[in-house]
Amino acid sequence: MIGIPISIFYFIYLAFVGVFLLFTLFNVYHLVRFGFLSIANISIIVFYIGMSIMMLLVSWYYIGQIDWQQVIPIVPQFESLT
Amino acid sequence: MLKFYLPHRKEGEKIILLLRRHRFIILTKIAFWTIVALMPLALYLILGQELQPFLSHELISPIVVLFISIYYLYIWLFAFHSFVDYYLDVWIVTDHRVINIEQKGLFNRVISEQELYRIQDVTSQFKGIFSTMLNFGTVFIQTAGEHPRFIFKQIPNPHKIARKIIKLVEQNKKFRSVMQGKDKITT
Repeated sequence: MIGIPISIFYFIYLAFVGVFLLFTLFNVYHLVRFGFLSIANISIIVFYIGMSIMMLLVSWYYIGQIDWQQVIPIVPQFESLT
Repeated sequence: MLKFYLPHRKEGEKIILLLRRHRFIILTKIAFWTIVALMPLALYLILGQELQPFLSHELISPIVVLFISIYYLYIWLFAFHSFVDYYLDVWIVTDHRVINIEQKGLFNRVISEQELYRIQDVTSQFKGIFSTMLNFGTVFIQTAGEHPRFIFKQIPNPHKIARKIIKLVEQNKKFRSVMQGKDKITT
């Protein structure tokens, strides 16, 4: 069957997650480098990282249940008339 | 003593005021991102039954899962970035100088400073309903240096802060004139 493999969307998703992680790193770096490491500041960084890990784990749980071998057909399929 | 990253810290320099925008500003940003996060849920509650056949389609549902994941990850990232922006926009008044630190995006950080004795005029301003009700506003500091005007934006108690800065400037000018007098006597 000719079509678009849905795994393409998975790879696009991974690219977005990569950018997310990169920007997370920059934000945390800025807070550590330029803000004073008070308990409140550290708590917010830990809370943010903890929530991010949780969101990624929940996403991973659902994404893991998907069959990524499926293909979105481009050419319309005609069912047998008989 | 207040502690914060102080660029080019002088020996014995003490932070007198460490100012950020009023908490109302960060609360409005949190409220905005909360509304954005709740929007898909509201949409699902309103149009859930109509969307159900579309969302449960075996080829569409994987893309929906990926989209929802990205959507919430990025809302979380933007909300955190709003906090970083709020937290790192700081105006510091020490016993020697005023420092203006502004984080403009992730890769643009502007730091300007001016000696206290160069300050000529300090003005406080309330503008708008929330500003008046919640007591936050802007303090304009006119200086004689290269950076003619320092603006402390949306800070709490602007009037009180302006008075405090004026007092510090007067003390600093007195201290400098005494020190200069001493230098003249010794030479």
